[in-house]
Amino acid sequence: MRITRRQFSASVAAASVAASAGGAFAAGFPERDITLVVPWAAGGGTDALGRTLAKNAKQYIGANVAVVNRPGGTGVQGMQSVAQAKPDGYTVGLVTFHLSSYRLTGLSQLSYREFEPIMLLNRSPTGFLVRADSPYKSMKDLVDYAKANPGVVTIATSGAGAVPHLSAALLAKQLGLKFTFVPFDGGAPARTAVLGGHVTMLVVNSEEALQFYKAKQLRFLALNSAERHPTFPDVPTIAEAGFPLATLLLDWRGLAVPKGTPPDVIKTLTEGFRKMSEDADYKRLMDEMALPRANAEGEKFTAFLEDIEKALEPALAEVGLLKKI
Amino acid sequence: MFDPALLLAGFASIFSVKIFPFLLIGSILGIVVGAIPGLTATMAIALLIPFTFAMEPIAGIVMLLAIYASGIYAGGIASILIRTPGTPAAAATLLDGYPMAQKGEAGRAIGIATISSGIGGLFSALALTLFAPLLATVALRFSAPEYFALAVFGLSVTMGLSGKSLLRGFAAVLLGLSIGMIGVDPIGGFPRLNFGFAEVSGGFNFVAVMIGLFSLSEAFRQIEQMSILPPKPPAVRDVLPKIAEILGMWRIYLRSCVYGLVVGITPGVGAETSSFLSYAETKRRDKDPSRFGKGAPEGVAAAQSAENGSTGGDLLPMLTLGVPGDAATAVLMGALTIHNLQPGPMLFQERPDLTHQIFAGMISANVMFVVLGLLGARLFARIVQIDRRILAPLVCLLSLVGAYAIDNNPFDVWVTFVFGVIGWLMQRGGFPVSPVVLAIILGPMMESNLRRALIMGLGSPAIFLQRPIALFLLAVAAISLFAVLRRSRRERREAAA
Repeated sequence: MRITRRQFSASVAAASVAASAGGAFAAGFPERDITLVVPWAAGGGTDALGRTLAKNAKQYIGANVAVVNRPGGTGVQGMQSVAQAKPDGYTVGLVTFHLSSYRLTGLSQLSYREFEPIMLLNRSPTGFLVRADSPYKSMKDLVDYAKANPGVVTIATSGAGAVPHLSAALLAKQLGLKFTFVPFDGGAPARTAVLGGHVTMLVVNSEEALQFYKAKQLRFLALNSAERHPTFPDVPTIAEAGFPLATLLLDWRGLAVPKGTPPDVIKTLTEGFRKMSEDADYKRLMDEMALPRANAEGEKFTAFLEDIEKALEPALAEVGLLKKI
Repeated sequence: MFDPALLLAGFASIFSVKIFPFLLIGSILGIVVGAIPGLTATMAIALLIPFTFAMEPIAGIVMLLAIYASGIYAGGIASILIRTPGTPAAAATLLDGYPMAQKGEAGRAIGIATISSGIGGLFSALALTLFAPLLATVALRFSAPEYFALAVFGLSVTMGLSGKSLLRGFAAVLLGLSIGMIGVDPIGGFPRLNFGFAEVSGGFNFVAVMIGLFSLSEAFRQIEQMSILPPKPPAVRDVLPKIAEILGMWRIYLRSCVYGLVVGITPGVGAETSSFLSYAETKRRDKDPSRFGKGAPEGVAAAQSAENGSTGGDLLPMLTLGVPGDAATAVLMGALTIHNLQPGPMLFQERPDLTHQIFAGMISANVMFVVLGLLGARLFARIVQIDRRILAPLVCLLSLVGAYAIDNNPFDVWVTFVFGVIGWLMQRGGFPVSPVVLAIILGPMMESNLRRALIMGLGSPAIFLQRPIALFLLAVAAISLFAVLRRSRRERREAAA
């Protein structure tokens, strides 16, 4: 039932294309196809992003980039396989937020320290939403009600320990509220539960709500971000809604290679992937999926990862998921 | 939102020179991939997404839809011929399909399987076309309490697959439930029961378990009995089922189609669940349930029609709500996204032309595989004629290679091997294997939704009584369990008398 079997055909297809085009980029790297490991199943948002990014690779980096899905163990298996791959630049990982939390939740020792960061691809702010016919017109309405009725407001999240859950928990802690969290297997089923009126509030990555925001079936109360979202310009940030948060957690996706990859290879990869991330097809996909693109390369990406890990620790402790190993 | 003119335009575009070849290619590929154990429709779709990049979106999507429909159907072919489910969904087909083939009715079994899949698939494609927005509102009324009740109902029906001893069936269910608990706690996110093995941190791979339980165990049994069984089953007869035979099973088809649709719309479960449910219920309602498992054509018909009956249902929440109904539709959703078509309510408003092309494509795909399947039935059936002494080792090899092929993970080969031994021992001891498989699927669904429902109800189990759909499903589950118990007691008394 699980997916990934395209390695073979993708590489066959890629190899045949590579054979027909000559080696115009002769600097030694890349001499053959690059593998992009996506640690999540085919068909998800991360997969779509990876595939669109890799689509036009040939013209930007001089080699095809073959996407391989290695799902399993909430992303550990795929990311671990990248960390353990030969550090020659031919295995690149599409790493995601979970890499920041494995060590803190006790799932695995794996962290960004085992990688050479290439670049941050996007950051997703959490959205706080209710059904369009909900009596709560603003974040203040909901907070007031939750204050008066502790534990009665149910919140659907995309899963325990994910950024939206933690963001809502931090909000609750700061305001002294008590929410009842209902974790689902991902943003889509959580959204369906709120659309069906089974749960009061939806707290997911903002892009998950796009279609239903456009169809006016869900209403944003606030966005957990420092600035407004280009796709949802009318949605107030959490500070504008009247509740400035001390810590802003953001979901993220980025690219990394195994520790010990030679600097010149990293440089080639960084330049290649930067061009790929400026490709029109990729930019259009990101805009249509409401994913604001980010650009932080190398050390800036590392700094971002350090910060998020520091911010995560108290948040995980708050929801009882902190279990350092 | 259904528009006949747009649907006609959709058909016109599907049958144009630009798209039709892809429908044909998709159907053939789906049949081939579906029939090969370990290669599922899901994988085939995932494999081919990169090839659709260069194609017009609708041509690519129609090809993937055709793979989906025909892949789900074709899983039954390997089930019938070598007792190896080509796809997880086809495990219910082998219960009667394989005994039919062993009696020399491989052709007839494939014929019935093909027509039944076509009936189920067409029904669900039409339901999707005509009632998508309406059914989406029905899907929205289902949430954790209803999913829990549905899983309980499923497990209660499973007990009907127990065979002679209800206790042994119950033991098999418990084994399946325990296996389903390995991995990550679905609500809290804590790792559990992995005994320190990182390989099982996400649970056992379901397909690997299933190939072991059904296919490898049968290969072991054949090897064990090689010296006493005749090397070849009887020759193949009657490929095409008689029309009267098909028409005579209308009740089974009606029930299977409804099961398929309801299970399909429920997120997370798909063809592999509906086929077992429909099979078990058909067996329970038959005048002589003991015929089942020994080559009853009704068993094949019930399993295959419910399997394909769930395809339209699985597509529905994906297209309308952006929630994939099963693994295959999750991958299809990715394909749509990559082609810049975001599934959800806006897809219907902004691109009605495209949604109707998808409907037309789905309807055509279901007709296509019936034609191809019937043409190929005689050819497929020849596989049964391979000498057992060659076939049994081949099935072993296919099972292990198939297990590796799922995720390129050598650990899965071991999983298949160990479950092959478990399945073989279970059959020797008179324990039924299917309840294990169904409990592995339904257990996690039952657990996570029970806990989710209790959280939603702020800790009170009254939530199950306050919601009519959940209450109804739980009541039906209780009745069905009671019926199974009573029948078993009666049979025991008759046996004693």
